[in-house]
Amino acid sequence: MDADTGLRPPRPVALLLPGQGSQYPNMARGLYGRVPAFTEPFEEVLGLLGPLGEQALADWLAERPAVDLDHVSRAQPLIFAVDYALARMLTAWGLRPAAFVGHSAGEAVAAVLAGVMALPDAVRLLAERVELIADAPPGGMLAVAANPAQLAPYLTAEVVVGAVNGPQQVLLAGPDPQLEQVAQRLRAAGHTCMRARATSGFHSPSLAECCRRALPGFAGVRLAPPETPVFSGRTGGELDPGSACDPVFWAMQPAEPVLFAPALDALLSRGPHLLVEAGPGQGLTALARRHREVASGRSAVAPLLGTRARQPEADRLDVLRAVRVLVEEGHPVQPLGLDDLAPAAARA
Amino acid sequence: MSVLDLPTLTRILRENAGADESVDLSGDILDIPFPELGYDSLALLQAIGVIQRDFGVELDDDAASAETPREFLTVVNGGEQPSAESV
Repeated sequence: MDADTGLRPPRPVALLLPGQGSQYPNMARGLYGRVPAFTEPFEEVLGLLGPLGEQALADWLAERPAVDLDHVSRAQPLIFAVDYALARMLTAWGLRPAAFVGHSAGEAVAAVLAGVMALPDAVRLLAERVELIADAPPGGMLAVAANPAQLAPYLTAEVVVGAVNGPQQVLLAGPDPQLEQVAQRLRAAGHTCMRARATSGFHSPSLAECCRRALPGFAGVRLAPPETPVFSGRTGGELDPGSACDPVFWAMQPAEPVLFAPALDALLSRGPHLLVEAGPGQGLTALARRHREVASGRSAVAPLLGTRARQPEADRLDVLRAVRVLVEEGHPVQPLGLDDLAPAAARA
Repeated sequence: MSVLDLPTLTRILRENAGADESVDLSGDILDIPFPELGYDSLALLQAIGVIQRDFGVELDDDAASAETPREFLTVVNGGEQPSAESV
């Protein structure tokens, strides 16, 4: 280590928590049953979900799932459980995150990690939400390589901007067949579009009615100001105590756009951070990597998992790689349950 | 004969990512996962569109699920591994 980096204090860690669309078959499976610091919180979430958790676990482990893992009743519980368990794993190993940034469903995980909502409440509301959203009109989300202004002429009352992910990446959301019709018009005009993994129009008016029906549930739980800063995709900035304690804010969040790019901007404008993606895939890593603060090297990003399931050891090797980045940065992290991997990782 | 080499791929990726996003793509990036270079499957799909248009080739959208530049170039070049001199 040279003198310059040796003198630099570790950049604070912000966890990026991905949401709907980040799931893939066998995500994080290599950690389950192998890394206790992951397995325990993962089973805690699914246990709190009762029968829904049992079904989600069975389909996660099954070669041929009874219900598609992209369906809201599987994707939402499993993404929540993976995000939460990865974050808890890092804290059990000694990491103290300085901030949380949640994307879509990841924002509920951020709320729990920051002390806004208790885990049992958040999980119970997640189960209610899954049941309500199952009644929403079929639809989806569409990633488009364009900015919101370019897309304005294609939007309708139903098909709207569901997420602003980066300067040239927007997710449109809405019911089908309307969303697919917009996709065809965009493709005909030469825009690159790709369906995201979702079977409902998250973050669009399609979900507004379900969200309104979830309001009594949110009104009945204790909400507290964040103990650790949360950068919110709902507001595009740091979550203020008023919003954090507002049941309407949380109940309507799945029907409102995700302003991820502004939220990331707000976080990185506070100073350099080491961003760690704690969830399935590397979608938020790719977005963060293109941010000028990360591209310049002032901030950095490391994902905990890969982009798809590979051989059984891959998940643990990926986590170990991220742990190395944290340790090199100067964060004291002791990865219990990965100790046996050191020789394999040294060869990799 | 290979259709696409690494310098051309990085040029296409850089041009499509937008002007204010200047990820360093120099050095040995053949085996670095695309997301860690700042490119997701949408960015790859966009690159595939440009390659089809500029090189007059038909590409399967499967190329968008390539994990690394090496995988992508191998798919685009019909199974031919990128050689040392094309890098």
